Amino acid sequence: MNFLKNSRAAFPTLFRFATVLIGTLLVLFITFFLHPIDNSKLAGGAAVTVVVLGLSWLIGLSGQVSLGNAGFMAIGGYVAAIWSNHHAHSPLLVTFLLATVCSAFVGLIVALPSTRLRGPYLAGVTLAFSAAISPLAISLNTLTGGSGGLFVNYLVTPTWFAHFIGGSNELIVSNAQWPTDVMVVVAGVSIFLMSNLFNSRTGRAMRLVRDDDVAAELAGINVQRTRTLAFVVSAAYAGLGGSMLALLSGSVTPQTYSLSFSILLLTLMVLGGMGTLSGAVIGGLIYSYSNNLVSLVNNITGISATSPLGANLKGIVFGVLLILCMLLSPRGIVGFAGAFRNLKKRVIK
Amino acid sequence: MIKIDQLSVSYGAVKALENVSFEAAKGRITAVLGANGAGKTTLLRTISGLVASHHGSITVDEIQLTDKSTENIARLGIAHVPEGRGVIAEFTVEENLKLGTLASKVNIGEGMEKQFELFPVLRERRKQHASTLSGGERQMLAMARALIAKPSVLLLDEPSLGLAPLVTQEMMKTISALCSSEQLTVLLIEQNAKSALKIAHEAVVLHLGHVIASGSAQQIQSDDNMRRYYLGVQR
Amino acid sequence: MMGNVLTSRIATDFFGGVTSGIVIALVALCLVIIWQSTNILNFAQGAMSMFAAFVGMNLVFHGVNYWLCLLIAVLAGMVSGGLTERVLIRPLYGKPEINPVVVMIGFLGVVEALAASIWNNESATVPPPFSLTYFESNGHTILISPNAIFQVTLAVGVMLLVALVFRYTNIGLQMRAAALAPEVSKLLGVRVDRLLTLGWIVSSGVGAIAAVIVSTGQTLAPTNMDGIFVSAFIAAAIGGLSSPVGAVTGGVLIGLTNYYVLDFWSPNIAPLTSVVVLVAVLFVRPQGLFTKNTTRRV
Repeated sequence: MNFLKNSRAAFPTLFRFATVLIGTLLVLFITFFLHPIDNSKLAGGAAVTVVVLGLSWLIGLSGQVSLGNAGFMAIGGYVAAIWSNHHAHSPLLVTFLLATVCSAFVGLIVALPSTRLRGPYLAGVTLAFSAAISPLAISLNTLTGGSGGLFVNYLVTPTWFAHFIGGSNELIVSNAQWPTDVMVVVAGVSIFLMSNLFNSRTGRAMRLVRDDDVAAELAGINVQRTRTLAFVVSAAYAGLGGSMLALLSGSVTPQTYSLSFSILLLTLMVLGGMGTLSGAVIGGLIYSYSNNLVSLVNNITGISATSPLGANLKGIVFGVLLILCMLLSPRGIVGFAGAFRNLKKRVIK
Repeated sequence: MIKIDQLSVSYGAVKALENVSFEAAKGRITAVLGANGAGKTTLLRTISGLVASHHGSITVDEIQLTDKSTENIARLGIAHVPEGRGVIAEFTVEENLKLGTLASKVNIGEGMEKQFELFPVLRERRKQHASTLSGGERQMLAMARALIAKPSVLLLDEPSLGLAPLVTQEMMKTISALCSSEQLTVLLIEQNAKSALKIAHEAVVLHLGHVIASGSAQQIQSDDNMRRYYLGVQR
Repeated sequence: MMGNVLTSRIATDFFGGVTSGIVIALVALCLVIIWQSTNILNFAQGAMSMFAAFVGMNLVFHGVNYWLCLLIAVLAGMVSGGLTERVLIRPLYGKPEINPVVVMIGFLGVVEALAASIWNNESATVPPPFSLTYFESNGHTILISPNAIFQVTLAVGVMLLVALVFRYTNIGLQMRAAALAPEVSKLLGVRVDRLLTLGWIVSSGVGAIAAVIVSTGQTLAPTNMDGIFVSAFIAAAIGGLSSPVGAVTGGVLIGLTNYYVLDFWSPNIAPLTSVVVLVAVLFVRPQGLFTKNTTRRV
């Protein structure tokens, strides 16, 4: 145990890299044995993990509440869709990068005037921004396909992968395998980058700005720039996640990134644990199985899934969970885990 | 009359007051003295219920205050003029005064008339916003607002703060007169110990949350140690 | 000649803009009341108002008189406002600012989903109490209807009533004091906690009226107020979250902007334009157009 602790202290970046690498490889390994349905769920979860990472970073770490993530996801999604439709053979990396950069750029534009604003003003402005994106998408209909949206058919399993898995064995070479593995890798890379940011000077600066911006200013930190950077990073992650979801689901419409989706994201972030990396992963997993969760509630309470109550149960369940979490423990599940760890320490000592 | 018994207050790990005990009699002014951070303001804030104590009791005329809310304590006739006066700048003089009457059974017209008689300058400025008043006038407004509800106890936290010496003198005279005419129990916190002791009957000296001396104002004033360390007077 | 002016596009948009702007102003006023008293931006305002409107207006379909339904909606709003403050907001006083924001967002989701599940008559339109037919003048149509006049009058009436209560009544004085200086007010015996609840009750009651106005003449849907909420927030923020006058002015301004952009450009650009206006205003004057720079306790 000491060896691990010492090496973690001595080579933090390497340690983090190794941890994330091992974790990602482990998950990739598992995907080979999962049923295609579970793989799709995992893929969705990975995409959402990326978005929640960005959101968690912004709200949990830098203390700025933004509701604009749905809007940035839409930008990422649309950019990915439009680009891949026009350049079907463009490498994945390019598509993802393009979506991320475009989102980040718009994020910068929104951040410049907004990060001066305090709490509720910022939340409201970002909400208004997010609400303005869908109508905008509808109006730019030559580019975006208007209210019908766009179809995407991009994530075709490449031949080298098919051979890698086992020739032309139809059972193993499912269409869900490749996309899932792609998403897991992207998520892994995102987590690694975020963990570096978290522990870097910038990350510490952000936490200081969150807790006491006057002190930060006195310590020589440019508060405005730090806040803006946090916002742009969050937008970039949202855009990446949005593009991932768009490519996975095969379509992007103005209705995809709605207010209730923003609320769901917020809930996932809080449930998993605000401002923590593992929390984002937990949030993503919860998303993957959110429908299962709702079915479970259906079974327990006997509410039929087709009744009006049943159809809206998802919204109710997640809304209530969010409220309970905030009232009882603002740090979410990971907060509980931290408390549990403390308890263990005290008991064992 | 106020009876404080073994009162202890902590802000987290910081002990603001520890086992403070003393009595303040009716119709008399008790000065609360001590250096900055001694716990004087905390003492007043605990009496009026803004701060919770974890030990000890506060009794006013046989009524226990320790578990009551601030609003209820105020309604029992305990008026607290906080540090900085707490005059609401956005309200007019009249509105400030009116606010003072709403939680009591005092008739608004009569109450205001009486305060205008005590502080004529407020009558002149009745329709003006409190933000346009001078420091001394704001102090008068704060006191009038506290007095308008006919309290039995008056807690004053550094009323002379930021006021010119002559204005302070006038104000002290007014406090003294009111104390005896209305038979108020007055607790007076002042950095300017000299002017406080001039009008006070008793005094209590706090140091780091403890009572280190109490007695009549004359006793405290003539104590050499007190003079050197707490009253800032060289002999 | 006069007829031509009144029926011109500019005038038409003006009437439409003012009518919708007044409703936006009403919701903005609700936000300001809650913000001033409890320093919370009530993200669930639109949804709560809509829920109250649902409670009242659904009875119209069962033959109950429109005015009675309006009253029921207002009462439902008041009750829901008071309950929300007590149950959800009260435990959060003194905790970090982010908590009530997130809780209200969650609440928004719950309320809308709940409304959708309880009432799901998609094609039910609330019949308006006055005619929806536009006025005619010399064969030209002026785009105001008797119903629109009723709506504006009701909204303005409510706003004036609220303003009068706050300015000239004792309870209004106490509410303002509780918002401006809660500690000092407590020292004067003012029951600040109860007044905060009252602030929420008043705000939600007013919100219910706005929701009823919005839903009259169209289908009742849980998401009716979403767009209005965003516009109302923008309006309140432009005016300055602590200024009722600012909120009303902002509301009318946004209403007009929406209508003119809608007509002269495209309906889908209007939301974006509002955001741009908001950002522009906040850039120049971060505290809003109508708030004084600092409030000081003296």
